[in-house]
Amino acid sequence: MRYALLLLIAGCTTEIVDSTTTGHAEDPYTSLEREQREGPPRYTSRLHSCAKMRVATLGNVLASRGVNLAATQELSAGRMYRTSAVALGAANYPARTRENIELGVATASKIFDIYVQAAPEIIAAIPVRPECARNGQPAQLFDSSNHCVESGFSCLIGTRATPQHLAVCNETIKRANDPETGKQLAVALLAAAAHTCE
Amino acid sequence: MKRYFLLAGLVAPLGACMGEPGPAAPPHDEWDDKLNDRVVDYGAALRIASLRLTGELPTLAEIDAVANATDEASQKAAYEALIQQYLASPKFTRQMFRFSQDFLRLGDTPETDTAPAFLAQVIVDNRSYLDVLTASTGTCPTYNAMTNTFTAGTCNNGTQAVGLLTHPGMLAANFSNLAFRRVRWVQETFACSKFPAEIAKEPKDVGGATPYTGTFPFDSIAGAPIGRVNFKDTSSVICANCHSNLNHIAPLFAHFDDKGLFTTGFSVPVPLPDNPMVAMSDYLPSGESTAWRMGVPVTDMRGLGTAMAADNAIAECAVARVWNWALGRPDIVDAAAKVPGTTIETQVADFKSGGYHLRDAMYRVFTSDDFVRF
Repeated sequence: MRYALLLLIAGCTTEIVDSTTTGHAEDPYTSLEREQREGPPRYTSRLHSCAKMRVATLGNVLASRGVNLAATQELSAGRMYRTSAVALGAANYPARTRENIELGVATASKIFDIYVQAAPEIIAAIPVRPECARNGQPAQLFDSSNHCVESGFSCLIGTRATPQHLAVCNETIKRANDPETGKQLAVALLAAAAHTCE
Repeated sequence: MKRYFLLAGLVAPLGACMGEPGPAAPPHDEWDDKLNDRVVDYGAALRIASLRLTGELPTLAEIDAVANATDEASQKAAYEALIQQYLASPKFTRQMFRFSQDFLRLGDTPETDTAPAFLAQVIVDNRSYLDVLTASTGTCPTYNAMTNTFTAGTCNNGTQAVGLLTHPGMLAANFSNLAFRRVRWVQETFACSKFPAEIAKEPKDVGGATPYTGTFPFDSIAGAPIGRVNFKDTSSVICANCHSNLNHIAPLFAHFDDKGLFTTGFSVPVPLPDNPMVAMSDYLPSGESTAWRMGVPVTDMRGLGTAMAADNAIAECAVARVWNWALGRPDIVDAAAKVPGTTIETQVADFKSGGYHLRDAMYRVFTSDDFVRF
């Protein structure tokens, strides 16, 4: 049975040729278990993965949506971002380590923390950001009734915001203690959710 | 006996991956159904492409250009026009520098950053990717992050450049006993697999607990009584499975010292008392030639670069790295994120027939059917 399992996982690819003959190979049973759970490489290789947003890209996204990355206040989004390189999985090339793009719980939590702190700056900035203009008109995140607006949230999440996005957004505001807190939570929630995967 | 049976079972199909027709495609199954169930979403694809190629979210105008298109053909046209725009953007240069740092696992110091700068320049200028293995000048440019521009630079480490194979920053960062770390870097970076690099169709009993699976003759590398390290030891693992290839390449990299400077003699140590410098007899027996692969002898670094450039595995590796990067998959070697040949065979063929231009390959990957389906 063990031989049969091993033969099964020795699927032919042109790239990774790990051998159990070296003593350095991945445990074949781990490999088999992963394939049974996720699918064979001919399937998984053709799908988008949920890669963590790269550290530099996260900085670009924050800055382009109005966050001051040079901020020095202790709990500012900019400072949190600047001092969280390790927690965000940054590369360490002198140690021959690439950037870690696999999303862990700690990293996702750190990113959400940054978006929560960034929300007030984003709310203030989206209407004046050139990236968020539509036909020369500024985008809005919220209307005068504190309802979420498609243009602003499309610009925030990087794709056309759907009615479902806006429903979640509106529900978040509705359930908050006050509209201002709700708006901040809605922005952090939508941004963190949309950008969970790069 | 059982172990031999097991290894033979593993090695035979793996050997079949090396330049021969692979196994017949598996019958249609649930995974094919899942692939067929994906739907085209140019809006989602645009967001990902923008983040990868420019490091920024798409602007609202770009989002609208795709979302407001009236049918799928118009969406496709709008999407593909934006991909072309991203590839021509100065921000693409910035992204390629970072992509190259990760590709090469090198950077963030002045000495090493010129290596990713060279790869990034090759991509941005849409030169042949093979230049990273063969270029004789200009392999140490500098990248200015403020202006997103490159300044030409020569490495000046005592030898004519052979792409990145003679890059002083790379050589210094991977300095080690017997230059093996440099060879490992070359193998994993450009061939996308760990050692052992080649596996024979038929394992050979060499008196160890497991058979020898290399393609070179077992006695083609140094070991007792010749050489100070016994690479033919079989008392634990079969060292020669990896070292049959390692030892045929490493002497070419042993001429560079700990700063990456070329020396006429060998300048890497052997891990013995007093750290003596390595000698050719530590790698190979007398009369044995250095080689990229079994049957591909090379006599110098330029020969190595040329042999690598002619190896199909190098082109496949480059495309596979672009593929994994585009689809957000982890590293092909570090995380064993396999890309079966069937997944990228069209991409590889187009890459080769189109002159090995990696920027063009990126356009094809970002506009491929797999990239725009979710």
